[in-house]
This record gives sequence, C-alpha cells and structure tokens, in this order.
Amino acid sequence: MLKVGIIANPVSARDIRRIVSHAGNLPINDRANILLRILTGLAITGVEEVLIMPENGGIRSQLLRTIERERRMGRHRLPRVTYLEMPVTCTADDSIEAARQMHDQGVGAIVVLGGDGTNRVVVSGCGNTPIAGVSTGTNNAFPELREPTITGLAVGLAVTGQVPSEYAFSFNKRLEVTVNDKREIALVDVAVVSERFIGARAIWKTENFRDLFVTFGLPDGIGMSSIVGLLAPLDRDTPEGRRIRFLPVERANIRLSAPIAPGLIEEVGVGAIEVIQPNTIYLPSVSAGSFALDGERELTFSEVDDVGIRLLTDAFRTINVPDCMAYAAKHGLLTRVAENQLRAAQNKGRTQ
Amino acid sequence: MSNPFPLEKDRLLEAYRCMKTIREFEERLHVDFGRGDIPGFVHLYAGEEASAVGIMMHLKDLDRIASTHRGHGHCIAKGVDVKAMMAEIYGKATGSCGGKGGSMHIADLSKGMMGANGILGAGAPLICGAALAAQKLGHDGVGITFFGDGASNQGTVLESMNLAAIWNLPVLFIVENNGYAEATSVDYAVASDSFVDRAAGFGMPGITVDGTDFFAVFEAAGEIIKRAREGAGPTLMECKMIRFFGHFEGDAQTYRAPGENEDNRKNRDCLKIFRSKVNEAGVLSDAELNAIDDEVLTLIEEAVEEAKAAPLPAPEELTTDVYVSY
Repeated sequence: MLKVGIIANPVSARDIRRIVSHAGNLPINDRANILLRILTGLAITGVEEVLIMPENGGIRSQLLRTIERERRMGRHRLPRVTYLEMPVTCTADDSIEAARQMHDQGVGAIVVLGGDGTNRVVVSGCGNTPIAGVSTGTNNAFPELREPTITGLAVGLAVTGQVPSEYAFSFNKRLEVTVNDKREIALVDVAVVSERFIGARAIWKTENFRDLFVTFGLPDGIGMSSIVGLLAPLDRDTPEGRRIRFLPVERANIRLSAPIAPGLIEEVGVGAIEVIQPNTIYLPSVSAGSFALDGERELTFSEVDDVGIRLLTDAFRTINVPDCMAYAAKHGLLTRVAENQLRAAQNKGRTQ
Repeated sequence: MSNPFPLEKDRLLEAYRCMKTIREFEERLHVDFGRGDIPGFVHLYAGEEASAVGIMMHLKDLDRIASTHRGHGHCIAKGVDVKAMMAEIYGKATGSCGGKGGSMHIADLSKGMMGANGILGAGAPLICGAALAAQKLGHDGVGITFFGDGASNQGTVLESMNLAAIWNLPVLFIVENNGYAEATSVDYAVASDSFVDRAAGFGMPGITVDGTDFFAVFEAAGEIIKRAREGAGPTLMECKMIRFFGHFEGDAQTYRAPGENEDNRKNRDCLKIFRSKVNEAGVLSDAELNAIDDEVLTLIEEAVEEAKAAPLPAPEELTTDVYVSY
C-alpha cells in the first residue's frame, strides 16, 4: 500500500521569536486546514494511506472533524488517515520519534509542517526517507513557500512513481556538529554564539555572534543564512559551504543590515567570508559558547570539549516539487483528454 | 570554568534557594495536611517552581502579581515571609492575613502580592487595574496574572486580555499549563487547544516555554517583562509544566496515566534539571546546594513549629480586616 507520512507538530513556531522579532503565529485551525489540503493533493495521485504524528495540540481533533464532515457530504475522496502509536511529549522529540516510526513503516515520503527547526529534527530521525517541507515555521529558509495542495500533489506523484526519481528527488547538503560524543545536524546554518546556556533557545543578540556556517544562503532568504545570501550567495546544489567570521560592528570593515529573523533586521559586523569544503572538520573561533542549529541554541561547549563542524553533501533527499509539477505538466499526468488534444494544447502553449 | 549562565553565582544560589523553599514548603504541607493538622483546603505548587521563580526573579516590590488557588509558590517567589505564610495556612493570628484567609487568600501588598485567589480567573481583572495604575502613575511597574489551563476558559480572563490589549497595559498573562483543570485534561477542555492562538485573537503576542527549565522561563520572562516596562503592552506566556501532587490534597488522581507521577518526579523535576545544569557547568557544587537544602529544611521546620505554637485569632477580631484598602 502506498503510504505517506505527515508531521505537524503544534509546538513549532511558538517560541520567543514572537517577542524578540515579529515572527508569525500560524493558528492550530489553519494547520489542520493545511493538512486537509495536502491530503487532497495526495488522494488524487493515488496515495492510499497517510500516517500522521499524534499530538494533543488540537490539529488532530480539527482534522478528523473536518474529514468526517467532508465524508458525510461526499465531497472528497481522501486517503485513509492513521495516527502513529507513540507517547506524546508535546516537544520537538515527538517529531523525531514520528520520523523514525514512519521510516520504519516504509512511507514513501514525509511531509513536514514547520520551519527550519522542525525540518531539522525530522531529518535527524527519518533515515533515507525523502521529506517535503511546508513552510509554516518561524524562519523558513529551508522549506520553500508554496501552496500545500501543490506539495501534496508533487509528493503523491513522486512516491507513486509517476514522476521518475531523477526528477522527483533532490539531494541536499547538511552540517554536522559534534561536541564530544554528541552529534547534531543543521540543514541551513550553524551559528556559534558566546552564550553558554540553552535557555529560550532562539538567537537574536548580535553582539554574541561569533561564527556562522551555512549549507546555502540566498539573497532573498530569511534568518542567519541571509547574511551569506547578501554577501556571497550560495545555492542549495553547489558542493561547498560558507563560513562567516563575525566582528563587533565598530571594528568590522563590512557592516551588513541582515534580516536575521522575520521582522528583525540587525546590523552585523563581518570580519571574513570563507568557503568551506565537504568532509573537512572546522573549529569554532571561540573556545566556549553554544551552537545554534538552524536558529536555535542546542549544544553548549567549553574549553574542555572536543568540538567540530563538518559539511556533508548528498546527505538527505527532498521532494523536488517544481520539477515534479513540471514533469506532470509535460507528460499530462493530471490531464484526462484525448492525446492529440493534449499535444495540440502543449504546442499552442509553446508558440505563445 | 567561567559561569555560562545569565545570572551571577549569588543570583543562581538565590534562585535555587527560592525553588527549594517552595518545594519543601509544599512537601511539608502534603504531610501535615494528611495528618489533619491544617484547616481548610490546600492546592500544592510542587513541580511548578521554575515558573514562579524564573518570572519573579525579574520583579521589584513595585510590580504586582495576582495569583491563584495554587498560590504558595507565587507568594514565596514574590518575597512573602515564609513563616507568616505557614502561620496563615495554619489559621493563626501571626499569619500573613491574621489567620483569616488561609491557603487560598494569602496576600502581602507590601511585596506587590495582591493575593492568592479561590475564584478561578479572578486575578486577571485585578491585575489589569494594577497595571492601569502603573500606567497612569507613570512608573515602569508591571502586573502579572497567573492562571491555569482551566481558568483560561473563564470569561474574566478573556475580558481582561481584551482590556489589556486595547489599553496597551503592562500586563503579562501567564498560563501555567500543568495539563489538568482539576481532573479534566487540557486536550478536552480547551477548545482551541492553543493559548498562543487565543492571544493572537486579541492582537497580542504569545509564546510557549518549557516550564520545567528555570533558564528557559527566566530568559523568556526577562524579554516579555522588559517589553511591558518599555510600553509595548501585554503578552501571554504559556509555561508547560507538571504538578507533582493532585489538584487538591486528597485528590486520588485516577485521571493520571499509570506511572505518570513517577515519571514526572524522575524526569521532569525542575529542581533536578536546575541542579544538573549548574553542576555540569561547574558553577555550583553539590556541597553548596546541599547546604541550602539543609537551611531550607530548618526554616520550614521552624515555620511549622512557630505556626503550631501561635495563637488563633481572637473571637473579637472576627469583623476586622474584612475590607482593606489597596
């Protein structure tokens, strides 16, 4: 049976960045609605079952109520929805556990609602299962902003094999951070900050920034990676990374106004921009501090710890939504017309 | 190794002492209530200490708080005298309110503690008044109202959020979400399932923090209190937490999952989490923390002995202190 997983953790996008910046708050009702739109896309491509992470933040009850209403009214044919059997801790750990279980149950892909942080924890648990991010988090550099119905369609077309794998999937870079025997990953950026406690996790005090390592940085990106995007842009595919060494603004030759969080544009002082190579261990420029992974402090370190940062290429797979949909358009995967009419329509499109 | 925390060592010791005092205060009441020594009802705060202390470490006497029926922790963290509190709970004349209030009505206006409150959600409008006073008087005082996941459904809370939003009051709405409204799970009883969404409905920011982690609460509370002092208006903060005991003393807790209490004590104890963080960082030693434990136990023992020995309020005092001026 063709199965897809969906992870929508209600604890995502609830942290202090709603105070220290102007990050948004996607209401629970809207999150349930997004799931429904994804299910609609999956259903039409032939996905029969969807495994969903259980939670008690309200998404499940809203979704099931809507599905039941739709079913009674005969409006939609949706895939069968099954919730994983796992304890709910109301933390990001739920997302990791759900990703593990979905991988073990052989889902074709996992759709992730969230921003960079939620996508990060899912990738840390999903093995080689491809993911598709739906941008609903605080910083959304990694998941692209797109209508979830389309993401559902593309995921369905990919996992059912209607789109060949060379079009359906993309390989992505990631960063690995080690502190002694602890190992964590980041999908977009690792910031080294001088604060040596985890606390409220987010980073926003620019005077504490020391280093930044990124897998990619786009000029129109948001979050820490925007610093690279505005100084030395790097795409998702080039097999290298970037490192920024920060300096106090008053001592820096390069002073950049960077959108480090939604609604928060701060001036940062940059001392150097360097290329980092895959599979090479890099050290932070300070002997004690914290590693913020995709925007959140996760690991602290001090002089006595053995630490390192490493870039990996082809580290995990994502669904290539634009290419899936382009393939579907080109090959008429969603079209039910006579072949000659389709060809005529396509030819007409080319000549205009 | 240098101190990695956003508090100097003496402030860390102060935070631990305060959390430990709340814990031992409540553990002792649990025993004494079971023995039948205490009149009335008690609702214990044990397990939730990181919330009260993480927030109150940022406050001054000028700042006002309004507490709940589960108010001992808020009182201690706001600086109310522990011995007077114990005497109050024992119903003695030496108590904070002359022994006439008991557990659910402890108040000390000199400390900005406007009262524990037996009426669910009743603290929210009170604190709006205190915050309006601060705004009109032109000082930077803030008002903080605590309420639980159950009281969040009360009309008074929602009306107060509206009032605070339209008047841009320096109010912090702290939802202490311990998962149960008495015995009813939050999953069942809160329609939107999200307190942050409710704040958004009034156009005010809302955040969620791990209420078992003192440092998470402390850092987030610092930001929202600073924001309120600077005139940016109200904020809602949900502290996700656990309570060690039942809703009230004597609660059989049949609504809990098997092993839940044991798991909470083992893995989600905010005092253990604090100790492990400061130990691991090499900032506070076990010897320093154990010394505080001993001092706190002595204080609680003295408080109980003095409370037991204190006189009851005299019959002729029955009608005094019925109304007080704020």
